Amino acid sequence: MISPETLVFGVLAALGLISMVATFMAVMERDLLKAVLFSAVQSTAYAFMFYILMAPDILLVYVPVAVGLYPAVILFLIKKTERFEGGEEE
Amino acid sequence: MRRAYKYAVLVAMIVSTLALALAVSAGGLGYALPFPAVRNLAYWYLRTTYNPFMPKFTASAPEAVTAIVWDYRGLDTLFETSVFFLAIIASMALMRGIEVKAPKSINLSKYGMSAIVKTVTKITVAIILAASASIALHGQLTPGGGFQGGATAAVAPLVIIVIFSLYFAVSSGIKKKSMLTLRTLGLLGIGVTSFAVIVAGLILGKAAYVFQNQPKEAAPIGFPSHILGVPMGGTLLFFNIFEFLAVAAGFTIVFLLLSVPEESVRKVLEGGEGHD
Amino acid sequence: MIDVNAFLFSVLVFSLIMNLGISLYGIFWRPSLVKKIIALTILGDTANVLAIVVGYRAWIAPNRPPIPPVLTTWKPTATDLSKFSSLAVDPLPQALVLTAVVIGLAVTVFLVFLTIQVYRLHGTTDVRKIAKLKG
Repeated sequence: MISPETLVFGVLAALGLISMVATFMAVMERDLLKAVLFSAVQSTAYAFMFYILMAPDILLVYVPVAVGLYPAVILFLIKKTERFEGGEEE
Repeated sequence: MRRAYKYAVLVAMIVSTLALALAVSAGGLGYALPFPAVRNLAYWYLRTTYNPFMPKFTASAPEAVTAIVWDYRGLDTLFETSVFFLAIIASMALMRGIEVKAPKSINLSKYGMSAIVKTVTKITVAIILAASASIALHGQLTPGGGFQGGATAAVAPLVIIVIFSLYFAVSSGIKKKSMLTLRTLGLLGIGVTSFAVIVAGLILGKAAYVFQNQPKEAAPIGFPSHILGVPMGGTLLFFNIFEFLAVAAGFTIVFLLLSVPEESVRKVLEGGEGHD
Repeated sequence: MIDVNAFLFSVLVFSLIMNLGISLYGIFWRPSLVKKIIALTILGDTANVLAIVVGYRAWIAPNRPPIPPVLTTWKPTATDLSKFSSLAVDPLPQALVLTAVVIGLAVTVFLVFLTIQVYRLHGTTDVRKIAKLKG
């Protein structure tokens, strides 16, 4: 029988590991569009963390900013500049 | 080869994370996380944020975060707002000389996505704006406030630009100039609210402070704490409304500038060099 | 004897610290300016989550979680207030992070405009190529 406390902290630990994998993939990916997608996955994990860590105010400001506006701004940037890191696809 | 190396690094990082966590939870640092209690400062904030038994110390808002943002640490937030103001101004200075306007005699229905998407977007934009206003106006009672509501409202112009095209947004009134006016209005409102009590004190001949919300021991005037029995948090309501305007309009200006087509920007830049 | 809850919470804290390291690698070593901006946003977000984690408090019983710092009654008694302050998490980091998220987006947008300007002038966002340019 798992206690509620262990369950909640287990979800937190899983979110931490998910965000770590997503951050790693975002930083290592050469296709910048895919990097933005991985960054959005990391933001979603952080949003759930804010919810579980009892910060509803931060959740309300973080969801529009980090899941909505950040990817949109970076996508505008990629559209206006270049898509692949280190020149075009080899 | 490179790929295998990459995943090996990732697995090594996960394993070292688990190992470090095991070491700490086994008592490696002498204590365990999370800490059992919050600090004394947090106790003070939590005790006084809405406390009818200590009328000289309370901020009279059941929401402790909004009370800290605009009352306990209001001056801090004022300077944060000026950083926000300067960042937007710097972005506009980089794009100076570039006008955000629709070409004359343009068929707006040719731009953007299909009619179904546009109809759904109209409903969605109305819902987004209503939700953001609710978040901002109930900031002193429930989680929310000016920053949250403003960030949520800024999603609406972005959706309009993406779904309907920039020209539709400009011709339906989301212009750079009107947004700049709204933003200035918000910033002016923040300034007026922060000096309102001290001006009232000067007129009435009583002591008062800048950024004062509720009456204090040495400064006996302040904003009303309740209206019709509902806690209003005094200045917090006004700060939330004006910050909502400033944040939403500021981000809208940036999105308008970001979505200007690159060809027209280059035309302006090259034309400017030719005249010099 | 290892406390399972403390272990799981420490996994969260150390994965956040690893995120700080990965995003610093992205800022310093990746050549693309766009990638540097993405890594910078991740760095800022991770610092914000760490601040919230500092303000979190342990559960007083296995089925009694801490509560958000929002009082849910308009006419509190003294018992309500002492219960509130003994259960709620720290509101101060939340207030600081709240403004930091919005300001972070504004500053990021400024960096985005700078990067677009660099691309207009030099035709590349690769810092290795920009460093070789003269004049």
